[in-house]
Amino acid sequence: MNNLLAFLFRYRGILVFALLEVLSLFLLVRNSTYQRAAFFNSSNAYVGQVLDWRAQIQGYFRLVDVNQSLMQENARLRQQLYRPDLSGRVADSLPVSQDSTTQARLALLGRPDSLLLGLRQLAAHDPDYPLIPARVVSSTQRRVDNYLTLNVGSVDGVKQGMGVVSADGVVGRVKVTSEHYTTITSVLHSKSTISARIQRDGTIGTIRWLGDDPTHVLLDNVPRQNKLVRGDTVVTSGYNAVFPEGVLVGRIESFVQEPDKNFWTVRVRLAVNFSRLTYVYVVTSRPKIERDTVEARAGIKPEAEERP
Amino acid sequence: MRGGVFEILWQALRGILYIALYVLLISGTDFVLFNLGWCFIYLGFLLFLPIATPIVVQLLIGFLTGITMDLFFDTGGVHAAAAVLLMYLRPWVLRLLTPRDGYDAQDAVNIHQMGWQWMVVYLAMLTAIHHTAFFLLELGSIQVPGIALAKIVISTLYTGLTLLIIQLVFFPTRRRSR
Repeated sequence: MNNLLAFLFRYRGILVFALLEVLSLFLLVRNSTYQRAAFFNSSNAYVGQVLDWRAQIQGYFRLVDVNQSLMQENARLRQQLYRPDLSGRVADSLPVSQDSTTQARLALLGRPDSLLLGLRQLAAHDPDYPLIPARVVSSTQRRVDNYLTLNVGSVDGVKQGMGVVSADGVVGRVKVTSEHYTTITSVLHSKSTISARIQRDGTIGTIRWLGDDPTHVLLDNVPRQNKLVRGDTVVTSGYNAVFPEGVLVGRIESFVQEPDKNFWTVRVRLAVNFSRLTYVYVVTSRPKIERDTVEARAGIKPEAEERP
Repeated sequence: MRGGVFEILWQALRGILYIALYVLLISGTDFVLFNLGWCFIYLGFLLFLPIATPIVVQLLIGFLTGITMDLFFDTGGVHAAAAVLLMYLRPWVLRLLTPRDGYDAQDAVNIHQMGWQWMVVYLAMLTAIHHTAFFLLELGSIQVPGIALAKIVISTLYTGLTLLIIQLVFFPTRRRSR
């Protein structure tokens, strides 16, 4: 007996080694061949908790990519919101065959006039206002003429004169583009004007900025006989094809009647908080060229585009 | 004079730190080089244990560390088998690298005490052994020798350099006062 214990003690290293090694290999073989054991895998509650922490920590390294893809997706979703100029004159999507199985499937979808291709609906034409997602890399708010710089440029398809909107509302217009960057004149610029509309009754006016308060703008050219209500929504009119129709500008906060003028002076609280602006969309306007051409042919001078 | 209990607690704390660092951060895809190099930073815990640790304790620590990794990454016993092999061969490598006059009582695996040549050979041999065992077991065979070899070489360099940096940055320059 003593000899046995002495033997075990003498070779304890290799014995324990062999034991543990066999145990590991047994676990390995069983793991790859049979059902996982109840305890020795990562669905265990404590292990799951640690793996949850791990996912949280490693999530930080992917935030930039995630933001990028969410921005792209938002741009795609948002461009479906802007009604095309031709809406109401052409079908949203292509006509489909009239056989009973297709009709039955379409009845389930609630869109009777769409083409089904692998159960996906195909739009009949491209969006009129495709959006280019961008990030604000620098901006000013406290000067009389304010500019923002975006991290997209001519390689992304940005051109001079395009509109810029954000999730909250109108931001400005493209002034200069380089290959990878774009400078835009924001709404907070002494010479920028935007054609706007009061949503309740459709009154058209012009948005200007006086250069003092970065949270408010003026709505001009509203005739004196129109009734105004505090809190009314002001949106873009879509008259100059830079912005799509119906993008939020702000809400009416107060209005006064100047004694010697025929118009109201309306103070509008901006929907966009320029001090916190991070992600914006540059609006490509497909109908703009055609509209400008027909207006020029009719002899209308193009609306004075500010060129400071 | 450091007591035995204090030493055990200190080593346990080190182990938890290394394992937490590996599981929570370093094992993520952001730290994998070219899909070929993994940084097994938890080997720092096993490799930098005191030289005089009894062999049975060493083997058990290696097995526990390995099986913890296996629990997290659903690998059965790959980490455990490689870690136990590593701990079994560590005394052999230490004996092979014995200085001319043997190890002092207060010698530790520390680059500032043992010199950089000793440390580089020690780290290279043991990480190479561990990674060879690990990747061969993980692939289940040597059917794709090119990829296995590339993984072994690149991961050995990666882990070895990381552990060398840890040694240079975090280990005390002066001997512990005993």
